[in-house]
Amino acid sequence: MDLSFLPALPPSFGQTFLVGVLLLAGLLCGELLRRTLGLPRIVGYALAGVLLGPQVSGVLGPGALGNARVLIDLSLGLVVFELGHRLDYQWLRRNRWLFAAAIAESAFCFWAIHATLLAFGFAPLLAASAAAIGTATSPAVVLLVAHELRSAGQVTERMLLFTAVNSVFAYVVLTLLLPFLHLEHAVGWSLAVLHPAYLLGGSVLAGFAGSVLLLLLARWVGKREDRQFILLVALVVLAVGAARNLNLSVVVTLITLGLLARNLDRRHVLLPLRFGYGGQLFFVILFVLTGASLQFAPLAAVGTVVAAFIAARFAGKALALLAFAGLSGLRPAGAALLSVALLPMSGMAVVMVLDTAALYPEFGGELAAVVLSAAAVLTLLGPVATQFALKRSGEADPAAAGS
Amino acid sequence: MDEMAFTPSAGLTLGVELELQLVQSHDLDLARDAAELLARLEKQQLPGAVKPEITESMIELNTSVHARHATLAAELAQMRDAVVREAGMLNLRVCGGGAHPFHSWSDRRVFPTERFKHVLERYGYLAKQFTVFGQHIHVGCPHGDDAVYLVHMMTRYVAHFIALSAASPFYQGEDTQFQSSRLTAVNAFPLAGHMPFVADWAEFVQYFGKMRAFGVVESMKDFYWDIRPKPEYGTIEIRVCDTPLSVARAAQLAAYAQALAKWLLEERPRPAARAVYLVNSFNRFEAARYGLRGQFIDPFEEKRKPLAEDILDAIAGVMPQAAALECADALVALAADVRAVYSDADWLRAQRGPDGALSDVVRKAAERWSAA
Repeated sequence: MDLSFLPALPPSFGQTFLVGVLLLAGLLCGELLRRTLGLPRIVGYALAGVLLGPQVSGVLGPGALGNARVLIDLSLGLVVFELGHRLDYQWLRRNRWLFAAAIAESAFCFWAIHATLLAFGFAPLLAASAAAIGTATSPAVVLLVAHELRSAGQVTERMLLFTAVNSVFAYVVLTLLLPFLHLEHAVGWSLAVLHPAYLLGGSVLAGFAGSVLLLLLARWVGKREDRQFILLVALVVLAVGAARNLNLSVVVTLITLGLLARNLDRRHVLLPLRFGYGGQLFFVILFVLTGASLQFAPLAAVGTVVAAFIAARFAGKALALLAFAGLSGLRPAGAALLSVALLPMSGMAVVMVLDTAALYPEFGGELAAVVLSAAAVLTLLGPVATQFALKRSGEADPAAAGS
Repeated sequence: MDEMAFTPSAGLTLGVELELQLVQSHDLDLARDAAELLARLEKQQLPGAVKPEITESMIELNTSVHARHATLAAELAQMRDAVVREAGMLNLRVCGGGAHPFHSWSDRRVFPTERFKHVLERYGYLAKQFTVFGQHIHVGCPHGDDAVYLVHMMTRYVAHFIALSAASPFYQGEDTQFQSSRLTAVNAFPLAGHMPFVADWAEFVQYFGKMRAFGVVESMKDFYWDIRPKPEYGTIEIRVCDTPLSVARAAQLAAYAQALAKWLLEERPRPAARAVYLVNSFNRFEAARYGLRGQFIDPFEEKRKPLAEDILDAIAGVMPQAAALECADALVALAADVRAVYSDADWLRAQRGPDGALSDVVRKAAERWSAA
């Protein structure tokens, strides 16, 4: 009997099947945590990733993670684009203290983490790199928790604004540290100067080019939500791909794209942004894969430093926000909640750590372990903090918060 | 019955209440930051008052009492500037208009005060559908009997105020075909409508006492009438206007009410008559549906004519009073718009553009409101 039409046993499952598993696990975990513990769904997505990831079950092996890079890039691209698109230059112009507050938030946080790491005896330059990475709030977490709770108000708006600013701040500082790292490795001056200039200038230019193209096409397509959605996704994917291929920063490129798409749109050809169900899919994938990439193993070894890192990070943010609350027109209670809302650390940190460690091996080891552990802890706890802050501020929609 | 003691006020003084929309700048949907904005405005030295309204997407400007149109207009402009400036600090925009074109009523949250919570509990979805934005005009009366007379007589002109202020053609994402869709949201309430045909203040107080004894109402606030006496202020309050797209128009409408009131109270052209209430629903509907292009039935002359014609006749008729009140300019401006068949509702429709994006309508309305 010829049974060659049957698959080999056990059957091997390809990428497509894995993506299905990933979505289903994300959905189930998200709903489960939401219903039983009232946690944000994102925590469930990330937890599903941890369970499926190499650390626990290994369903998503390192190979699968590498292949899924496209999906991560795409999802992250959409998030960062939306964040940039929410940034209204007019608001910063009318409320100048706001921009000062945002810069202070980043600077204080950077300084607090840096000082803490120095106290633990890390080398200044490497501590600065770690502090820069730690400054960024996760754009994906704050945006998705805000969406999930249908939150609207001052804390929400400022949370998104400050996240955009500290994400850019983190990347810029990290890039500006490059020359020093380069020089410490005795590479030539030209490389030390040209590399960061290329990274920043190139990313901004790519974002600018993308936004011009987006606006031209949007004008031609007309104000139809379905068409514009496809156009946006297309441009975001193009920009992410271009940034990758040109060795530019995905984050800076996409924030610039979003920011300029909003602020150069003088004819208002772009409709207000709504990603809807399609966007949700990408975000589940993003968080499951982020969860899978988290590393908890080093936590035990560097627990104390991680705790200090997280505490310093929070203190830096809270200090700046409280100091500038009155001037930028936010009540002190709002400022306190805002600093809690900004706790989630970026999954991008993992990427930044790996990139930096690839360039400079001594960044690996203990310091990388500290940042990665902090990222792991704050990816799982951060969404809870953000949810708490938005609910407490009264900006979450009670109907959405209960569902 | 202290509440019903009519506080005499200097005749023909004016006050205006304007309900305004707060919108988010990123998607131009209604915002929920009324409390935050009000907290900021409390620190300002403003002549009038800014108050919360039923949902967190609304604020209400209350002017102080004015004898003349010019000072009222100046005060409104001053309040507008302060509100726009403080809203800008919070990344909010402010606009006029009787309804937000595309917000979803289920998203609205009721401002957490006792009275508003009670309204929500009692009226359910009506309370949230009531996220509409109106202008109320107070005209001072020296005596309760004058107020009763003025309410009856002013009812003839309700259609004028509806058509002149109409600014809510879109509702819940649709072009309603109405010039003022807001009025329909008000009609749904059981205590909407008009004051009963009472002869004087004593009879009105009797009526009110009865209603309160039945438990139908607790205070005058529970009557959502088109025009109601407000004994506490010593005024009658005209409540049918949509909030116009500019403060200038709001002040002009108040001036028109003042001139009409002066003519009615001082000349007493005819006794109050039940007849006005026979055709009131028809006139009101025509004005809300067609605006200045509607028809009008004159209850006293018993003839039908275009509403615009009746408005122009009425304005011409009270020009001497307007001159005495130093508000002739305002009435001339209103008449010019009537002749040009201009209305805020048509302006809003024109802003929609060929693509049909309602967010453009809101953006333009906010720009217009903010323009000095």
